[in-house]
Amino acid sequence: MSHRVLVVDDEENQRKLYVQELQEEGYEVIEAENGRVALTRVEEEAPDIVVLDICMPGMDGIEALGKILSEDLHVPVVLNTAYGAYKDNFMSWAADAYVVKSSDLTELKRTIRKLLSGRPTAPDDGEGRQAEGPGMNERKRHA
Amino acid sequence: MPDDRPVAPLSAAAQAGEYPRVYPVLPKTCVMILAGGQGERLYPLTRDRAKPAVPFGGHYRIIDFVLSNCLNSGFRRMHVLTQYKSLSLDRHLHMGWSIFNRELGEFLDIIPPQQRTSTRFYRGTADAVFQNIYTLERERPEYVIVLMGDHIYRMDYRELLRAHLANKADLTLACVPLPLKLASLTGVIEVADDLRVVRFTEKPEAPPPMPGRTDASLVSMGVYVFSTAALVRLACDDARRETSHDFGKDVIPGALEGNRVFAYKFVEPTALTQDPYWRDIGTIDAYYAANMDLVAVTPRFSLYDESWPVRTYHEQRPPAKFVFAEQGGRIGAAVNSIVASGCIISGGWVEHSVLSPGVHIHSYSKVVDSILMEDVEVGRRAQVRRAIVDKGVKIPEDEQIGFDLERDQKRFTVSPDGIVVVPKEMPFE
Repeated sequence: MSHRVLVVDDEENQRKLYVQELQEEGYEVIEAENGRVALTRVEEEAPDIVVLDICMPGMDGIEALGKILSEDLHVPVVLNTAYGAYKDNFMSWAADAYVVKSSDLTELKRTIRKLLSGRPTAPDDGEGRQAEGPGMNERKRHA
Repeated sequence: MPDDRPVAPLSAAAQAGEYPRVYPVLPKTCVMILAGGQGERLYPLTRDRAKPAVPFGGHYRIIDFVLSNCLNSGFRRMHVLTQYKSLSLDRHLHMGWSIFNRELGEFLDIIPPQQRTSTRFYRGTADAVFQNIYTLERERPEYVIVLMGDHIYRMDYRELLRAHLANKADLTLACVPLPLKLASLTGVIEVADDLRVVRFTEKPEAPPPMPGRTDASLVSMGVYVFSTAALVRLACDDARRETSHDFGKDVIPGALEGNRVFAYKFVEPTALTQDPYWRDIGTIDAYYAANMDLVAVTPRFSLYDESWPVRTYHEQRPPAKFVFAEQGGRIGAAVNSIVASGCIISGGWVEHSVLSPGVHIHSYSKVVDSILMEDVEVGRRAQVRRAIVDKGVKIPEDEQIGFDLERDQKRFTVSPDGIVVVPKEMPFE
């Protein structure tokens, strides 16, 4: 089974690009258009990693970051924004990585690969969420 | 003509010309006071109030001591992080501590959990800071002093900050010598010659003695100064781990690697005794003992030091009054005691006790070794010893408290040391 990546971005075209490029890398990709929807996805679909835009209507990425971590302490989160300025925001320090948006996704892909290395993929239990593989088991228990 | 008038003595720091280093930093420093603890071991005093709001020393609430330290040290940018049963604490802070002027950059903000960074309540001291990262974000201080709202001591935090600056530290822990037996209940620090912290152990079974002493260890007082970047980094890292999210248990032991962590040996602003006075009011017995410390002839902790005033709120009450002086008969008197305003000692005897405002002692009654809180009434011929009587309790005539502990245990809470606690407004049959 492949790792499941949650892409959170309010721009549909941006998401389409990410879905395509990340699927080519062999990941399963799920989407959310703002922080609020992302929270539901994290809760229901237990992604292995979250790529999180910051400027979004509804709930922005900085606020969503804290709430995602309350739901799942261990899921790696990559902040992904067009602005470098948020790097200075204290809350962004709780994220695992900060990647400035670019048309070239090399750095984003490299960061995702690095953060997922060593994380086991869990088999799908057929209900849209991953079953209790060893890594997942640990994560959900403490979430 | 030579002017030989005496000059006011300067403190050692002022003489060393060090003040210019600390003073510009004061406005860039904010204080976070953690006042959210449940205080379960202080039950029933914490039944209706947060631990920092528990009355202390007649007129005060426990939190007044830390706030007064801030005020006396010149730190006037304060966040009080509250959580459980915060109503009476809020009220006290509003009534007694609304003295800061935001136009001058001073403030005391009371912050309950905002559920902004997290959907949870504060899970520990470090989590309380993590959940208030927005506050730090908005304010952008250079240094953050983190204090516990339930400790009794007098400290000039400027000296702590000065040590922090001099060491170019990321984190400085204030510490104090504590007898080995007590040290095993707290966080013990081991330091190198330059006071760099080399080990921090929470509640060790065999606490290592400090250099130069065989009877005491150096323990952390729960008084920290962080460089802001270090605090944010440590709080964020801790938030991503499965820990109890406590500074003493989790964050500080982990911070020793990769950070410059130093100890600051606590010196009182005006030292009365060799070992400085610091008390963590964690239990009924500690609370009782700290109150009793105040009534000593030469107290280890003095409320009467004008150079270090303790501020509080108390409502307007008439002066305390003592009546009846019948030689060989009825006498209204209090000795070795603190008696707050509005008390009436009418023909009863009070000895070695702390009385909050509005206490009424009736004829032929006797109160010894006790703490009576606001508006307690002691009926005729009643006797009270080694007891803490919470607010508003009316002790009936001829009642006895603190004499038959077996009987008291059925009615009240009795501490391990045998102190009887009568809960707030408890009715008697």
